[in-house]
Amino acid sequence: MPDLKTDVLVIGAGPAGSMSAKWAAKHGARVLMLEKRQEIGSPVRCGEGMSKDWLKDVGITPGRWINLEVEGARIYSPSEKVFEINEKHAGNEVGYVVERDEFDKQLAIDAANAGVEVKLKTAAVGILKENGRVVGAKVKEFGQTYEIRAPITIGADGFESQVGRWAGIPTNIAMRDMDTCLQYRMTNVDSDVRYCDFYLGKVAPGGYVWVFPKGDGLANVGIGVQVSQVKSPADARTYLDRWIDHHPGYAKGKKIDMVGGGVSISAPLKQTVADGILLVGDAARMIDPLTGGGIANGCIAGKIAGTVAAEAAHAGDPSSAFLQKYEKGWRARLEEKLYRNWLAKEKLVTLSDETFDKVVDVLSGVTLEKLSVHNILKAVRDKYPEVTKEFEAFL
Amino acid sequence: MLAGDPVASKRSLHIESSGQLCIYCGACVGICPLNCIYLDETRITFDEKVCTRCDVCVKACPVGAIEIG
Repeated sequence: MPDLKTDVLVIGAGPAGSMSAKWAAKHGARVLMLEKRQEIGSPVRCGEGMSKDWLKDVGITPGRWINLEVEGARIYSPSEKVFEINEKHAGNEVGYVVERDEFDKQLAIDAANAGVEVKLKTAAVGILKENGRVVGAKVKEFGQTYEIRAPITIGADGFESQVGRWAGIPTNIAMRDMDTCLQYRMTNVDSDVRYCDFYLGKVAPGGYVWVFPKGDGLANVGIGVQVSQVKSPADARTYLDRWIDHHPGYAKGKKIDMVGGGVSISAPLKQTVADGILLVGDAARMIDPLTGGGIANGCIAGKIAGTVAAEAAHAGDPSSAFLQKYEKGWRARLEEKLYRNWLAKEKLVTLSDETFDKVVDVLSGVTLEKLSVHNILKAVRDKYPEVTKEFEAFL
Repeated sequence: MLAGDPVASKRSLHIESSGQLCIYCGACVGICPLNCIYLDETRITFDEKVCTRCDVCVKACPVGAIEIG
């Protein structure tokens, strides 16, 4: 295999990679996108819930990847008091339940139609560096190793990202900033197709149990547990199985699929670019640390990444100084919320089941026009002033 | 945190990746503070010389496929 050259090399064909690739191509760059697997979008590693208010902005049109549209979310406290959030003020991760494999494929198709070359079964096995600058990657396609040279490389290689580390961008996360996750696709369960459900407290230490309905008695039933709160191996599975056993509407169901993975719940990275390279999506730890949702942020940042990468290629300037435009761009759009939600998460993981019950009890009895941490805390303070004492900083 | 514990490092790490437990999700790869775990599509390996047996990956694995003995 002869070595190749391109303007922009995108490593990883998940949503963030495909969006980066598409927007770089739309801005006139030659783009090559690599996917290490034989099939884009498979195996699915996701709960498949996503919000929808951001899709238009980044040029994604609704398609057959939409499984169903939910009306809202229900938050269950440990004693199973319920707080219902409707989609208008939930904003974030409620909206569609999707077929993630179809979604990923559609974004790759959009990228290909914009002119992106896609290589399947092609893994990056290292990066190429010259004078401290990233100038492409060493890849393995169907077992054959060769080099792809590009002024700009985009690392979109997911949670287990290697590209950032190879480039010397610190992406390590602490145990308290990661959830270990497991999910079953279950059939014959009593989920309500109008809601995505979230169960908080000691059923899932530092995380939550989710139920995302798929219709016809199908649902994704999963769990995230904060790694720092794991006591013994396979706790994610143990806690999830226990939760299912204790819920008759799910205990009678049958598991037909299992997915697992790591989710970062960290504060934003300090740095996502270096000379010749930028990181995007889960690889850049852009997952919302409160909800664990990463698709929207990956796609929003991907559009900016692709646009800036094309500009850098045209300008013949792949320096990190030029790529600051991406760094500033995605931060302006996402950083404040990521940081705020990280702080909220840091607090939430310390709450006792009793406190969760009190908070959800208050919320189930009041009408909040706008759902914000501030509004929630004010409502809680009226009924349980002792609970909000430690949250004074947020008020 | 990252420094190897000389006592701990005498222990052995075992990643069960023949498919009986491992689901190839990459959680261990993403959390490894020393970047010494590698995921091929259906195989996980780690670098014996770099690994300090810190046990972070054991905790990160959702299905209990990693053991330190």
